[in-house]
Amino acid sequence: MLLPWEYGVRNLFRRPIRSLLTLAALATVIMLVFLMVGFIRGLEQSLVISGDPDVVLVYSVNSEESLENSAIAARTPELLTSSLSGIVQRFGVTHISPEMYLAARVRTQDGHSGFGLVRGVKQTAPLVRRSVRLLEGQWPGPGEVMAGQLASTKLGTPVESLDIGRTIEMEGQAWRVSGTFAAGGSGYESELWCNLGDLQTAAKRQDLSLVAALLEPGASVAEIQLFCKQRNDLELRAIRETDYYASLQQYYRPVRMLAWVVVTLVAAAGVFAGMNMMYGAVSGRIRELAMLQAIGYRRRAILTSLVQEGVILAAAASLLAGAIALVFINGLAVRFTMGAFVLRVDGVAILIGCAVGLTIGVLGALPPALKALRQPVATALKAV
Amino acid sequence: MFRFYSTLALTGICALTIGCGRTEIATQTRPSSLGVDSSFLASSEPTESTPVKAARQELENGQEATLVGIIGGSKEPFVDGLAAFTIVDPSIPYCAGDDDCPTPWDYCCTQDQVRDGIATVKMVDDAGAPVAVDARELLGVKELSEVLVSGTAVRDDEGNLTLVANKVFVKKP
Repeated sequence: MLLPWEYGVRNLFRRPIRSLLTLAALATVIMLVFLMVGFIRGLEQSLVISGDPDVVLVYSVNSEESLENSAIAARTPELLTSSLSGIVQRFGVTHISPEMYLAARVRTQDGHSGFGLVRGVKQTAPLVRRSVRLLEGQWPGPGEVMAGQLASTKLGTPVESLDIGRTIEMEGQAWRVSGTFAAGGSGYESELWCNLGDLQTAAKRQDLSLVAALLEPGASVAEIQLFCKQRNDLELRAIRETDYYASLQQYYRPVRMLAWVVVTLVAAAGVFAGMNMMYGAVSGRIRELAMLQAIGYRRRAILTSLVQEGVILAAAASLLAGAIALVFINGLAVRFTMGAFVLRVDGVAILIGCAVGLTIGVLGALPPALKALRQPVATALKAV
Repeated sequence: MFRFYSTLALTGICALTIGCGRTEIATQTRPSSLGVDSSFLASSEPTESTPVKAARQELENGQEATLVGIIGGSKEPFVDGLAAFTIVDPSIPYCAGDDDCPTPWDYCCTQDQVRDGIATVKMVDDAGAPVAVDARELLGVKELSEVLVSGTAVRDDEGNLTLVANKVFVKKP
């Protein structure tokens, strides 16, 4: 026969301060788990969303996966257009986007400065970068930039510093902010976009960093890869955009592994904290537990009741931490080497956080409860 | 209580066994000869062949030739999904095993020489269409395989050389 459910619940209210402190400790631990899992999920989502399976990137074979280091001939887009058939063409416009991509020091009007990611594009860019949406303002004209909604986070400057009409300084020139754009959570949101020609002039470069091409349905990237092999003089390589970001995921694997290690360590710390609390709680109740045995409750029933207390506390802490995480952590922008991304407390993060919380409740309660029940009833009844 | 401990221990052992088990699939490797099409493989070694470097200087557009070279020239010398790859002149050295280079076929130590000693091979069928099978599967070759390729040269104004080929002889290492 099990102890009544209310018995365990009431026990928590018998020592309200201790229960509240434990709740706060567990909620803090679970919050840390939410934070770390939110970081991992945000990073992964940002890389997954950034890749379009229909887009092929053509960049320098010598750039070692880094588009910022890539430099290819300015005539590459024309060569690709004239040599290949699998690229989308509509109303006489080829869906191909020549781009210059570089990291530059950006100084805002209010004196803040930081390294930003700048992409020089032509008006065909939105045909290929299909996730980009203009939120406010307009497409950049001469001497203007359009700011992604996470660009200020990447720069480490206040959001207002990239408001429409403000001026920024980069590559030795002043640029006016003409608009703000979103890109469905992808990496572009941490970038500043301007006209390709303007950026080439400012950077004193005539080459391109990459060419992005939108493939027709069913077209193969192999045709473009073969073109790159055949045109050895251009030193090009072609890769499907999703594969490029998958390779970046591999690049950031150690970071993600480290984050998972932190999650494990935090969870382990939570288990020990829970255990400590339960040892304290149970040691003061040895006579009570022995009395329960004396009146006929089996050890397993008492153990279940003690675990129930731990789990109730952990579940409450998980709910509290989950609510705080959803309100305050979810959507928080984080600066990172590749740009910026937002922390995502999604279904997976909630599941992991709550699972860690409940595990802490069970594992934290088991050892002290087992220790208390191991004593003979007669001895335990006389315990001080 | 003993039964409870036993159940707990058994659950733990099961979890460890499942968690630590390695799947067979993960350790299996694909046989290199999978899907090799003998119609593209020459049964005997051609008696005459031209090294890639010489071919880049001598061959004209449309000329029939047999090139000898080593598959490589970049980190990914094969085109995924097409029977096409690049070959490098055999006289150009690649990183030897003791150089601790994980991808010796990219000729990272001698890239300046590769520029004038590389050619692209594109396998075509009887109708002249590119073969949409990875060359590794079609020919059973891999990076650094030495091959003799027979076909027609395609030149461009920039000096690039492509051999549109229909027969390959793979030299035994």
